[in-house]
Amino acid sequence: MFKHLFKLLWNKKKQNFLFLSEILVSFLVIFTVCSFLVFYYQNYSRPMGFEYKQVWPISYSNVPQFKTADSAIAYFENLRQGIKAMPNVEAVSFASSNYPFSNSTMSTGIHYKGKKYDRVNHYEVDQEYNKVMTISLLEGRWFNANDAISKDKPILINETLKTAMFGDRPATGQLIGDYDDKEKMKVIGVMKDIKANGDYWPAGNAMFVPTDTATSRWQNNILVKVKPGSDAAFEGKLNKFLANYMKNSTIEISHLDQMRDSKNSETVIPMIIFIIVASFLVINVALGLFGVLWYNINKRKGEIGLRRAIGASGKSVAYQLVGESLILATMALIVGCFFAVQFPLLHVFNLPANVYIMAMLLSISFIYLLVFICSLYPGKQAATIHPAIALHED
Amino acid sequence: MLKNYFKIAIAVLKRRKFFTFISLFGISFTLTILMVATAFLDKVISAGYPDNKRDRSLYVATMEFNNTKQGWINRSDVSFYFLDHYVATLKTPEKLAISSSAQATNAYINNKKIVINFKFTNAAYWEVLEYNFLEGKPYSAQEIATASQVAVISEDTKKAYFGDIPSALGKYILVDNVNYRVIGVVDNVNRTMYNIYGDVYLPYTVSKADYKKVELMGGYNGILLAKNKADMPKIQAEFDQMMTKVPIPDKEFDKLYSNADPFFESMTRRIFGDGSNSGKSKALAILGTVVCLFVLLPTLNLVNINITRIMERSSEIGVRKAFGASSKTLVYQFIVENLILTLLGGFIGIVLSVLIIYAINDSQLIPNLNLTFNLKVLGYSLLACLFFGLISGVYPAWRMSRLNVVTALKAQ
Repeated sequence: MFKHLFKLLWNKKKQNFLFLSEILVSFLVIFTVCSFLVFYYQNYSRPMGFEYKQVWPISYSNVPQFKTADSAIAYFENLRQGIKAMPNVEAVSFASSNYPFSNSTMSTGIHYKGKKYDRVNHYEVDQEYNKVMTISLLEGRWFNANDAISKDKPILINETLKTAMFGDRPATGQLIGDYDDKEKMKVIGVMKDIKANGDYWPAGNAMFVPTDTATSRWQNNILVKVKPGSDAAFEGKLNKFLANYMKNSTIEISHLDQMRDSKNSETVIPMIIFIIVASFLVINVALGLFGVLWYNINKRKGEIGLRRAIGASGKSVAYQLVGESLILATMALIVGCFFAVQFPLLHVFNLPANVYIMAMLLSISFIYLLVFICSLYPGKQAATIHPAIALHED
Repeated sequence: MLKNYFKIAIAVLKRRKFFTFISLFGISFTLTILMVATAFLDKVISAGYPDNKRDRSLYVATMEFNNTKQGWINRSDVSFYFLDHYVATLKTPEKLAISSSAQATNAYINNKKIVINFKFTNAAYWEVLEYNFLEGKPYSAQEIATASQVAVISEDTKKAYFGDIPSALGKYILVDNVNYRVIGVVDNVNRTMYNIYGDVYLPYTVSKADYKKVELMGGYNGILLAKNKADMPKIQAEFDQMMTKVPIPDKEFDKLYSNADPFFESMTRRIFGDGSNSGKSKALAILGTVVCLFVLLPTLNLVNINITRIMERSSEIGVRKAFGASSKTLVYQFIVENLILTLLGGFIGIVLSVLIIYAINDSQLIPNLNLTFNLKVLGYSLLACLFFGLISGVYPAWRMSRLNVVTALKAQ
């Protein structure tokens, strides 16, 4: 049966070649769309890992120059106490500029047992960061005041990094080498992943280190958790307080939930445009396939009539035509999969392999469905061909 | 002759309406998407309010330190000092506009929050860029020298900050905890103009940061205005000559790059290039590949349908061949027919894209960005139509011209 169908297709290879390449290209388009969608969906279905509502990041520039580290510490400690004393404030934390949803990244490499882990997001936070962001720990503890005097620099790592480095074993208490593998850092806890790049992106490897008091003069951000219902009037008061405290600075107060929306739209809007364009291409191809199949069947009336005359049922004629298109689709898909498999093999775009596999399965079934639907009506029409009329024409 | 072809083409189109619909659908949608994309690119790349003199402007935006041995790169906007101390010494340019990148701050009016993006400029900024003053005037060099606390604001800011008042001149606006007197109101600028976009413009001398600080990297950018187009290469040469004299401030680095680029290069350098490579060819290559890939599928589809339709007309072709029509004439006829079809699709596409552009402008997807369907976009669209028609017509026409007379006639 298949051999016979294959022979029929081979006899018209020139005509089928275009048909084949069309399916191939549409498969590649759908595969790309599906890869993105699967990747985004997988990330979207994971929890955010922290509470972004009612968190206001404040950025300030142009901090005064301090002669000694002590005066810098005193200055920022006063600032913190001042903000905390305000009625609607629940918690305050200094942070490096790469706090969640900001467009800034800082990454570094770390060593463990001779192996280097690259692209580790490096967040500087302080003791109250977990209260501001409502972060839950999987093991160990959060930073405390005693950390400043400990021998090895204390750090927290996230779940992704922990799994990459330690697998199932507990990470707390382990020593990790820094960028040059010269100084040691001690893991004091593991926290849940926080998706700092919005809902649709993975958390990646991340490590959290306490803000170094000596470097606090380089920090330009404070995160403030406010009580629900804090309005612009309160924000105005906060702004005024900050502007009076830091006379030479430019103050900007943002809202983390708004920043999340704009970060997400950076992903969603291009994706929507992409989907619109791709679906238009698919409609276009579907109409084209439908038209060509329909025409071919009209041209093959004689052949079909003959088959009917020697006893083939209408159903088997329809099966034959649908089967032919599906075999064509299979051939195109084999070539397409050859290209698609290169993505996980060559690590293009650095997405996990299961994303590509899922996307491949989805797009294969989509193409089959598309070809099936497009050939169903022409097949049905062929089944109604009456042998007497069809053969009469010749 | 052409008239005949036209008649035949219309007759063929009428014959199988479903195929005609598929062809037109494919062509018009492909061209619509291309046209909307062109309109957007055109808006971003070509000169427009207030940057009307882009054809004789050179943009100085980035400073790059490079350690060629280790491969370290440090890149940032240029500093005021660099522009003022080095770039301003160039002889050929007519003027140098200096402005800082926009910084955001908040204002709270009647329990409502306004985000204000403010930037510092010099006096020449207002001469190089043609802002449309709705009220008042820009600050002068005199006001900059005396560090007057004056501001030029955008119309949106006026509305948001002062509400519906006839004139904002002489009123005070609190930006960054300082009261500035409003001396001018200008038309809004869209955000895609990242180097000049701002809500409030202030003299650079009132900046809280130390703008005189001796450093090469900072938060400023400059626009060099040439007297005429012919001066542009001269200015670039003079700029590169000047760059060789700028000392490298940091021992960690051994190379120093900054460029005076025409607008398109300044954009591609930001995204694809680095100090020594403008990234223009890379950008064009990427753009070309994307467009080709996008057009590939509709073209294949159209070729497929065209071939089907030609085979339908094999008897007609057979008769014409039998009466002595050469392959060339037939190819020519078919391509003309296909071009007529594409132009028809292109026309539908133009109507669709005008509707879409209207919808995009109406939704204010990007605030103050008004896409226009101008002659230039129309020209590009027609070019795209012709190109599309040619590539989707050539292969089927070639197939058709090779049809054997005997087989073609036997089909009947």
